[in-house]
Amino acid sequence: MAISTATKAATDALAANPAPVSVGAQEVHRWMQSFTWDFDKNRTKYSTKYKMANDTKEQFKLIAKEYARMESVKDERQFGSLQDVLTRVDAANRVHPKWNESMKVISNFLEVGEYNAIAATGMLWDSATAPEQKNGYLGQVLDEIRHTNQCAYINYYFAKQGQDAAGHNDARRTRAIGPLWKGMKRVFSDGFISGDAVECSINLQLVGEACFTNPLIVAVTEWASANGDEMTPTVFLSIETDELRHMANGYQTVVSIANDEAASKYLNTDLNNAFWTQQKYFTPVLGMMFEYGSHFKVEPWVKTWNRWVYEDWGGIWIGRLGKYGVESPRSLRDAKKDAYWAHHDLFLIAYALWPTGFFRLSLPTQEEAEWYEANYPGWYDMYGKVYDEWRARGCEDPSSGFLPIQWFIENNHPIYIDRVSQVPFCPSYCKGESTLRVLEYNGKKHSFSDQWGERMWLSEPERYECQNIFEQYEGRELSEVIAEGFGVRSDGKTLISQPHTNKDGKLWTLDDIKKINCVFSDPLKAL
Amino acid sequence: MANIHDNPTRNAWMAKIATLDTLAKAHAFITDFRAKHMSPFKTDWSLELDGLWIELKIEEKLALLKHKEFNDTQLLNNCTCGANAQQVANEVIVKMEACTDMYEAERIHINFRLACKPPVMPVNVFLDTDRLLGTKLMELRNTDYYALPLEELRKKRGVKVVTLQ
Repeated sequence: MAISTATKAATDALAANPAPVSVGAQEVHRWMQSFTWDFDKNRTKYSTKYKMANDTKEQFKLIAKEYARMESVKDERQFGSLQDVLTRVDAANRVHPKWNESMKVISNFLEVGEYNAIAATGMLWDSATAPEQKNGYLGQVLDEIRHTNQCAYINYYFAKQGQDAAGHNDARRTRAIGPLWKGMKRVFSDGFISGDAVECSINLQLVGEACFTNPLIVAVTEWASANGDEMTPTVFLSIETDELRHMANGYQTVVSIANDEAASKYLNTDLNNAFWTQQKYFTPVLGMMFEYGSHFKVEPWVKTWNRWVYEDWGGIWIGRLGKYGVESPRSLRDAKKDAYWAHHDLFLIAYALWPTGFFRLSLPTQEEAEWYEANYPGWYDMYGKVYDEWRARGCEDPSSGFLPIQWFIENNHPIYIDRVSQVPFCPSYCKGESTLRVLEYNGKKHSFSDQWGERMWLSEPERYECQNIFEQYEGRELSEVIAEGFGVRSDGKTLISQPHTNKDGKLWTLDDIKKINCVFSDPLKAL
Repeated sequence: MANIHDNPTRNAWMAKIATLDTLAKAHAFITDFRAKHMSPFKTDWSLELDGLWIELKIEEKLALLKHKEFNDTQLLNNCTCGANAQQVANEVIVKMEACTDMYEAERIHINFRLACKPPVMPVNVFLDTDRLLGTKLMELRNTDYYALPLEELRKKRGVKVVTLQ
């Protein structure tokens, strides 16, 4: 019987390069190399200023079959623990209610990051020409698919087994109204998959994974454990075992372009922009989730940040790349200043905008307030006394008729949204580094909170056209917008978000919000 | 008040789109719409909230009319105005290759997207052209990125400073 051309080609290839007789990793790897694929003649679909070398090596040298075997063992352990042991001991109901709410944000948002990382590493696979480098990116594509499922599973598990499912289930439907969503998409989506393919690698692998994965995926497990959550460490530490491969891929991306003349012209600029993009969101948001979304504290966020971002990444990791011309980002010093107060500033605003969220927030208790003051001297005079005032005005009680956003309006402290990072800021009431800069371009006003973002916008304004909630909902009443943006529970009237985590406390409804008659207005129109 | 997804502005544009019954009319319509409402250089912000949705609806109609009027060869090779897509692309690429100014390169790239974004130009030609133009634009934009202080950069961009604190 005649055989097809493809079968004949495969038979001939095997005759020339006999298959390994054992499953030794190195032997299999050498065999794979002998195929001598000529990807250097392929053209990529994506733009990049850089040229990746065709002979780049990859450190893990893992073929897909071995990879699948290894990951399936990890999955068996992880899902086995969750479905058997942790369910039997009712672990999801032992989590502190404040931390239960934090995981609504952390796991839902990380799921978006992992999902975009699938596309990002697929893009890098397409852009690279070295077979080994492609193999490294391929491993990461598979990892990111796994991680997307894991993050979704955390929320599924909490929703099914735990307390107050609203927000763990279907958080994404609130994405048009929640002010944290757009900034998250800027770092996790736009930063990973838009623009130069190598710049995306720098955002994802060199900064996102090598810098912020430690605070995000490792530190979160410490905070989770401290607050009674045994599910998150089970899943996130399993995710983290794959992250080494991703950091190595980022390293190899830099190695692959090191001999390209373009690297010296563009690399440090791209690194600085990527670092500023990622830190502008992660620094305040992670600090806020850890410190304000927990009852039991591990350590001040500023210490975690200094250890992992400033010293470990900015010093040691980037230092190792110094031989390839990589320098620590010039914005690192400004970021360091923000690591102290930015998350406190953000929580003040997040709490004031609580009805637009998909998770419950709660004011610091007396015990927590003492912890803040001890670790951040001056905290009470700036923030603590405001929370005391809000509490005294009944901000947690639906019958009070008081939303904390009214305090900002009454005291003439307008909240702006940074056009580039999409992070809200209040320049007249903050201790962080944010400063108000408003520019008008073709008749439209844009607000910025720092020099780095302003420069990014001035360089490519068409990239940052995302409208913020004040522009989108100008003139609209808050309860209408919440209803339209799916911010209510299954009864159609109770808000998903609430300003407390007390399970016996009254829950706010659309009617409670409507009575207050809070109308969106764009602060830029007043300038 | 009408909600953000269903409002009189969108309804009015849907009525206009419904009148488009030939490819030529639809091509002229989308070209005009994009220039007025979708350009980063626009000065009319009246459709800021609804523009993307309306553009999508025009594109849908244009694609249907294209399917009706074009044969398979035309679908792969021609823009909706009838021009040869590769020729249009080549002209833009030559212009971009000769360009050394980032602001001019930006205009070339943005105007190419406004004029040719699918379904106007077949995707097989558009995407590769967009990659080549984007690569050159990124090279120009990222060369000497910090050379100008912000004050100078603002002037170059032509922005008005409303407030600096």
